[in-house]
Amino acid sequence: MSITVSLIFAILLSACGQAAQPTIKIGVNAELTGDIPKVGEGTKYAAELWLEDIKAAGGLEVGGKKYQVELIIEDNESKAESAVAANTKLITQDEVLVIVGPQASKQAVPAGEVANNYETPMISPWSTNPNTTKDRPWVFRACFLDPFQGPVVANFVTEEFGFTKAGVLYDVASDYPKGLAEFFKKAWEDLHGPGSVVAYESFTTKDTDFSAQLTKIKDAGAEFIFTPQYYNEVALIVKQAHQLGWDKPIVGSDSWGSSELIPLCGADCYGLFFSTHYAAAGATGKTKEFIDRYNAKYGYVPDDVGALTWDAFGLVQQAIQNCGKITGDVKTDRKCIRDALAQIKAYDGITGKMDFTQGNDPIKCAVIVKISDQGEFTFYKSVCP
Amino acid sequence: MAVVSETIEEKPSLRFKIRSWWLQYFDDIPLFAWLVGALVAAILEMLVGNPFARLIGMPRGPVLFGFLIALKTPLLIPPAILYNIVIYLIPVFLVARFVGRISNSVADWMLKRSVILSTIVHLGMLYAALHIWAVFNDYRILVVKLILLAIMITLSLNVVNGYMGEFSCSHPGFMALGAYTASILSMIFFVDDSTFGPALLPPAFGQFAFPIILIISGAVSSIGALLVAIPSFRTRGDYLAIISLAFTFIVKSLIENLEVVGGPRGLRGQPDWATLPVVFVWTMLCVWVINNYVRSTFGKTMNAVRDGEMAANAMTINTRRTKMVTFLFAAFWAGVAGGLLAHVLRYVNPGSFGIQKLAEVLAMVYFGGLNSVVGSIVGAVGFNLLSEALRPLELYKWIIIPIMIILIMIYRPTGLIAFTEFDVKKLIQPRNKKVREA
Repeated sequence: MSITVSLIFAILLSACGQAAQPTIKIGVNAELTGDIPKVGEGTKYAAELWLEDIKAAGGLEVGGKKYQVELIIEDNESKAESAVAANTKLITQDEVLVIVGPQASKQAVPAGEVANNYETPMISPWSTNPNTTKDRPWVFRACFLDPFQGPVVANFVTEEFGFTKAGVLYDVASDYPKGLAEFFKKAWEDLHGPGSVVAYESFTTKDTDFSAQLTKIKDAGAEFIFTPQYYNEVALIVKQAHQLGWDKPIVGSDSWGSSELIPLCGADCYGLFFSTHYAAAGATGKTKEFIDRYNAKYGYVPDDVGALTWDAFGLVQQAIQNCGKITGDVKTDRKCIRDALAQIKAYDGITGKMDFTQGNDPIKCAVIVKISDQGEFTFYKSVCP
Repeated sequence: MAVVSETIEEKPSLRFKIRSWWLQYFDDIPLFAWLVGALVAAILEMLVGNPFARLIGMPRGPVLFGFLIALKTPLLIPPAILYNIVIYLIPVFLVARFVGRISNSVADWMLKRSVILSTIVHLGMLYAALHIWAVFNDYRILVVKLILLAIMITLSLNVVNGYMGEFSCSHPGFMALGAYTASILSMIFFVDDSTFGPALLPPAFGQFAFPIILIISGAVSSIGALLVAIPSFRTRGDYLAIISLAFTFIVKSLIENLEVVGGPRGLRGQPDWATLPVVFVWTMLCVWVINNYVRSTFGKTMNAVRDGEMAANAMTINTRRTKMVTFLFAAFWAGVAGGLLAHVLRYVNPGSFGIQKLAEVLAMVYFGGLNSVVGSIVGAVGFNLLSEALRPLELYKWIIIPIMIILIMIYRPTGLIAFTEFDVKKLIQPRNKKVREA
């Protein structure tokens, strides 16, 4: 009896004793359920697509050696508590080397605190709130910030149309539209003087009737409307504006760039402009390759979340490879990856060139997209800081 | 006892067998012995948890009884079960059985000295076991903190919805008030930041001022509750539900429009004061105070109001005062819980205190059981553990949990453990018949 037991133990121990090469574990903290499941889905699909590449290459090559990569995807239910719990689990239980996500700022800000406290590099592909990376050496992002996007839109409209009177319609209860509306207003007034934003109208999340605000904007003599809203609201706003006889341009921001926009909005949105991270239609090179693969596998053209997540993974991969080696000691490896991330220069991603040398927010260009008469998001021009 | 069954029925049912086996071996073990068992299991896990887990094929000791890992890789289900049996089940039962007899004398001795002493010793044991179990992994600490906070919130809502029989929807609003008050106070006085400028007092005092900050947060929530209570308790019926729901929306949009506290972007940078002992002490205080409140004469008037307001009025109960005081009391604890939550997450956002939060709290109250302190604890712990453990199922989790709640509503309309009293003295007394009768 005792011999059998000791034999079993011996076999088990010897099986464990073999020093396996460390696997590279990457955590993904995504909004798979809750308010914005499409964002979580895009994150997950892009992550899986990236892993496919790595697997096809037989592992991630670091310093001449190939390492297996494991993705650990956690759902944060679009809640702050859950995002914190998911990050804590990823860091302390799964011992991941780096975390990609969460996407929305409401989750990314508290999750970033956890990552920073445990000294684990984290990169949020989509969060635009300055608080996410502020005073947090361990937290990065792959997108530009709202303070950059506001002036981009203001400059574009001025150059393109020569307008001087702007109307703004935004959701006062949601941090992203509110912030962007404010940055736009400031940039516009810097260009055209105080009072050049002739109508600054707001509504509250889940409102569906905007006719009162739109009428005000129309009566105030605005030459175009800037509305940094999400795709579901954009469809309603644009349609209602047209019903009220509005025939001037409506301009949006990167939150328009969802694959759901055209199915919801239809012909009403054709010909409109918005600023975003990348344009799917007419894309070339790596961007096109990514879009085609994604489309073939999941059946729709990826939106900016997918593209930014892809780039976030690219950055992570680059950082790990720049590191030179994986020691297997989590602390050393995390530190090394963080330092490598902070030094990435001119990384050529599918959403543009990225540069982290000036801090944890990348320096990159914005893209102005025109919605074509076929409902495709076509590249119109690129605006750099 | 088991012998009797043979004469009544030929084959005793499994349930009966288990019951008689339980009575034979474990019925005379007091709570104290179970706590010793839990403590030993926790220490055992701390010492050999990780090596043992590796031995049976898991990467390291599972965090939540192996749920998280087993649901992702079903191949790990047998090791997870084995781990639970070897590390938790066997030690707890063995130790409890082993120290059962001595524990009875200890429990008896303590109870004879003073009930408070005995309670404190029991709580100390509970905390020790919980602490050792939690520090095994930082993720557990966070889960335990969130569960303890959920207990506070559930209990405070149960006072209104269960004991008083009114339907209140304002708990997210109270929590938001508490969370923001606590955050603002601690950040103004003890943190250097860009929003509120340099700290007014030395940050080292913060930890000591934290209880005061929490009490102020609770008081602010109570003042908020007054705004709901004054109009809604003039009448009876659904008014409270409507007004309190409106209150939640008002608080949320108020914060969203206050740029000083970050507006919809939220407020970050709360100091790390809500440690496990702090949260534990506040939760125990909350359970103790609420339990005493609902068992007091004044607390009983709530039940009278619920069962028949006219009759209660006729019995010289000031029903309006009862309702007001109770509502403010419940709001106080919701505010304290909110203040603690802000310091656990170290970030607050008005979006966290909306309808989703309300649905969660209501689910915990009705899951656990109305009109019962034990029920609320069971509801909060059960709901949160389940919600955390089923996380790997992603979307399916939100099919399974609602179905469970529906089933409970069908078979036990008032919740799992409803209308039971929570008697501390009964819980901590010795179980040995000889000692008990002596």
